[in-house]
Formats: sequence, structure tokens, C-alpha cells
Amino acid sequence: MNDIAFETPWALAGLLLMVLPLLKTGAAPSAYSWLAIVPADGLSVLLALFLRITGMSVVAALSLGLSGVYLKEQKVERIGRGAHIVLLLDRSRSMDDTFAGRAPDGSNESKSATARRLLTEFVEKRKHDRIGVTAFSTSPLFVMPLTENKQAVQAAIAATSSPALAYTNISKGLSLAASFFEQQPLTGSRILLLISDGAAAIDPDSEQALRQLIKQQQIRLYWVFLRTENSPGIFDVPEDSRNDNSDAMPERYLHLFFKSLNVPYQAYEAENPDAVQKAIADIDTLENRPLHYFERIAKQDLSGLCYRWAVILLLLLLALKSCEVRR
Amino acid sequence: MYSRQIFKDYRFWCLAAAVIALALLFIHPSEQRKNPVYDLTFVIDITRSMNVEDYQANDQAVSRLEFVKQSLRELLLKLPCESKVGLGVFTERRSTVLFKPVEVCSGFAEIDAAIAALDWRMAWAADSRIAKGLLNTLEMRRDCGSRLVFMTDGQEAPPVNPRYRSDFSGVKDSLKGLLVGVGGMEPAPIPKYNSRGEREGFYKADDVPHRSTFGLSNLNPEEIEGYNARNAPFGSEAAAGNEHLSYLHEAYLQQLSAESGLHYHRLTGSQPLVEALQAADMAEQRQVETDVRWRAALAALVLLVAVFV
Repeated sequence: MNDIAFETPWALAGLLLMVLPLLKTGAAPSAYSWLAIVPADGLSVLLALFLRITGMSVVAALSLGLSGVYLKEQKVERIGRGAHIVLLLDRSRSMDDTFAGRAPDGSNESKSATARRLLTEFVEKRKHDRIGVTAFSTSPLFVMPLTENKQAVQAAIAATSSPALAYTNISKGLSLAASFFEQQPLTGSRILLLISDGAAAIDPDSEQALRQLIKQQQIRLYWVFLRTENSPGIFDVPEDSRNDNSDAMPERYLHLFFKSLNVPYQAYEAENPDAVQKAIADIDTLENRPLHYFERIAKQDLSGLCYRWAVILLLLLLALKSCEVRR
Repeated sequence: MYSRQIFKDYRFWCLAAAVIALALLFIHPSEQRKNPVYDLTFVIDITRSMNVEDYQANDQAVSRLEFVKQSLRELLLKLPCESKVGLGVFTERRSTVLFKPVEVCSGFAEIDAAIAALDWRMAWAADSRIAKGLLNTLEMRRDCGSRLVFMTDGQEAPPVNPRYRSDFSGVKDSLKGLLVGVGGMEPAPIPKYNSRGEREGFYKADDVPHRSTFGLSNLNPEEIEGYNARNAPFGSEAAAGNEHLSYLHEAYLQQLSAESGLHYHRLTGSQPLVEALQAADMAEQRQVETDVRWRAALAALVLLVAVFV
């Protein structure tokens, strides 16, 4: 019964009118000389009772209908294939350049536009996933919590069309994204999908905290690195060992950090939109584990049902009424 | 004939009329009606001055940002279904949109969580150049169709040099919107936080710039103490002021709203904000299917009651 609710509960006051059929029969009184000589008749008593109950039921059905009774939104647990995915989007200024590192000129789209287009397709395909969105630049931005509402996720992805912000501060973004999985049921896989065109050194303080958080939450990491032409890649090893440090090669060091976490981790280095598409398609096929999810069943209006019963019972009353005999 | 007598009983006719009323109910269950529907993008100032605690909620001092969040979360419940709400934040001299407008009834939980997560730590840069931020927002949002609600306390940091004011003539009236002033009228200290986000007292007079030192001064060089065109274009005196205390710069915001063609409203709660949205003509009238079954059902109920009285 907890699932029943009313649009206009005060209209339930109409239920009080149910006493009326108890007080009156709804038939015109006929004069009779002496009531005591009317023989007791079981059928008549039953019929009178039936009339009263029918009258009461019509009043009740109409009142319930007027109060807008409905069945609340239900959640049905189902098992499907999918994952909990938190998108971590780079909003640093360089994302608004093309893969060639120039301002987009019409023939080439910017890295953020590529990411936006492909993520929109990706989200559309992933039917049962719960997806959350975070972004980061100099500071982390909480955008959208983990949700089944695909329209909301699309709205968040679409909003990255506004100009990008400032620098790349990846560690704060990572901790915000990882924190999304706290207090979430552990079902299906938990994926952190980082889409960035650069990296930054992670300071030792947050490194320890991140290490713990990502392990604890059993997160699977995917990094789609949008590599700009002539910039250092994640798999590059510097020729000069003096350059082999996290400040000179932050991408390589972030990759090493992710590898050292001992969680499932996959890096994709994409130098053009097609490579990004391949990476995302890859994730789409890989991440299809059994997942408990809740399907929402929208609230159901019951007042129509009430009105249908009201009209059926009312027709019955009318039929009985037309059988009434008067002298 | 006995049975013909029944047509003389008003009860019979009441029942028949009730049946007809219910028949009408099924034939004509709904009507097209014009309902106000909103499409709003809220852009919230998340600069440090929004941390000033000069609002009261449940007998406790709350910060401006906290109060804005509370008001917006209450507002969400008051918006009619099919309305859409988007969210953005402002700091430095520009704003960014977190998500484009999402339908409020199906996306309530998501919008609510996103509003609850707003934090001054989201700011990607310091400074609070409100006029520039507003101008940037208006230019960016000109063609998006969503109405703008820009919420700020109007505290420019550093203060604006009147010589370099933003020019709104290009965007005036290009976008319908509401400029919402947040904060109290009494100057109050701004809380200071350290790099770990722990509170560390308040900003002092020495912590903040009291004038902008960009370009030329708005004063005549003769009026400036110790003026030197190259070395001290703003004079030799240290600027003194009360920029470490913050209050709602209402006159300034009203001026900005007049220049940009926005309406102005001072935030006092969610209900006045809804009324301001209505008054500022922010709603769009849209044809919405409206349930009118109650009329026929009520008629049937009255007729039925008449039978038993």
C-alpha cells in the first residue's frame, strides 16, 4: 500500500459521502398501511444491502478518481550487461585545439569536439549503464552524479562545447571521480574513463590517497589520451635520462602511476578522431559484465480505473432503478 | 402501467445524468491549456566572497553560496514539469556551463545533486570580475535559447577602475534574464581557507587589493599624491579600503542589470525568487495537455449524492 499516492489528497474527503447510501435507500418511500404485516423476505434484505453497497462503491470510486490516485514510480531489479562509468573530462584550454595543436578551422575539429561527439554516441549505446560526469581543469568540477538518466548525461557532455577553462590538474580530478563510487553498490564493473590531452605531475600527498581510493573502490581505469602532434606520448621513453622525471614527462609518469596501481588499466593513445573512436568502441565491447540494475517504471494513473468502475456500477444502479415498481 | 411511474422519480434522472457525465469524462478526458514552462540556466558566483556568512537559515548563519544552493533546491520543487534547468559557475572573468538544461521532473535527483555539490573549490582561478564575467556569459549564451539567472554578490575583486568599465551595449537585451543579488547589506568579513580547505580566520585588509592597478588611473594626475607617469601611475600612497569586508553591492548590480537589459532581484528565499521569475516574464507559455476529468467526475458525484438525499 505504500506505493499508492494521491495528486489531490484533500479530495478523499469525498469518501465521507459513503455514509449517505447507508442512511437512505435511494428509492422513493411508498405508503403502506402497517409495516409489521410485511413478511420477512431474505431476498429483499439481500437486494437492499446490494443496492447500498453498490451506491457506496460508486461514491468511493468517484472520490478516489477525483483525488487522482496513482501508483508511485516503481523500481524493478533486473540483471543486464553494463557498468558504472564515471567520465572524467579534461577541460584545459588545449582541448579546444585540434590534434595538430592549432585552433580549429572548419576542416579539422577540436579535440573536445571529437570527444564530445564520440562520447555522445557511446552513451547512447550503453543502455543499462549508470554514468556520472566529472570534469577538471585547475580544479575539479562535479557535473553529474552516477545516473541512469541518459538525457542528463548527454546534457552534461553537450555542455563541454562552452570554451575550455585553464590548466590541467589531474590528481584532484581523479580523486573526485573515484569518490563517485563510494556508497554505490558493487555490481557490474566500475569504470573510470579519463579523457585528456595532457597530464600533470601528481604530488606525493595525493598520490598516496589516490592509490588507496582507486584500490578500495575496485575501479577499472581507462585512459584515452588525445595526443597532440609532436607532443610527448604516454609510451615514449626519453633519450636523455635527465629528462626522465614527472615534470618533464607527466604523461609517461601518469601512465606508470596507473600501471603501478595493480588495477585493470588500459591506455589508448589517440592521434586522430578515428583512433578515439576505436578506443571507445573497444571499451564498449570490453565492459559488458552482468550488472544488477533497477529499471524505473513510471508512475501509473489509477484514476481512470476508478472512473471505469464507477461507470459500470452506476449503469448497474440505473438498470436496477428502472426495475423499480411504484404504486 | 406501474413501471412508467419510474420516470416521474427525479432519482432516476439523476442517475441517468450521472451516467452521461461519466460518458463525457471518457470522451473528453483532457484539454490543451497554456501553462508557464521555464528554460533556465543558473550561473552561480563561486568566488570567495560568496563564503561570507550573512544569511540565516534555521537560526544558523549560512554562507551566501549555501543559501543560494538551498534556495535553488527548493526552487526545483516549485518549477512545473517540462521546465528545464541548466547549471553553470562563474569565477575570475568568465563562466562555464556544467550541464545544459535538463527536464526538472525526470532529472530532479541529478540536478539536485549537482547543485548540492557546488563549491567554492571548483573555481579554476581567483579574482572576481563580475562585470566582465556577466558580459562573457551574455555573449556566450546569446544564442542558446535558455534564459539566464546570474547569481552574485556584486563584489568585484580587485575593484573596477571606472575608466575601464565593461561595455554592454553589444549584448543589451539580447537575452532575457535575471540578475540576482546575493548577500547582506552590512559589510562582513570573508572567511579564509588554507590549501587543505581548512578554515583559517578571515581575510584582513592587507590580504586583498583595494584598487586595480591596471592601465591608467581614472583620476587626473594632479589629484594623485606622488604621481609618476612611468613608475607610479596610481601615486605613491598605498591604497586603503574595505575590500576585505563584503556586502551586497546592490546599486552596482542594479546599474549592471540596467546596462545589460536584465531584471534585478535580491535573493531572500525560493518563493520570492519564483515570483521574481514570474514577474520578469521568464516563462514561456506552452500548450500542455491538462487533465479535466475531475469536472465530469465531480458532476457525477453531486448527481449521485442527490439520489441518496
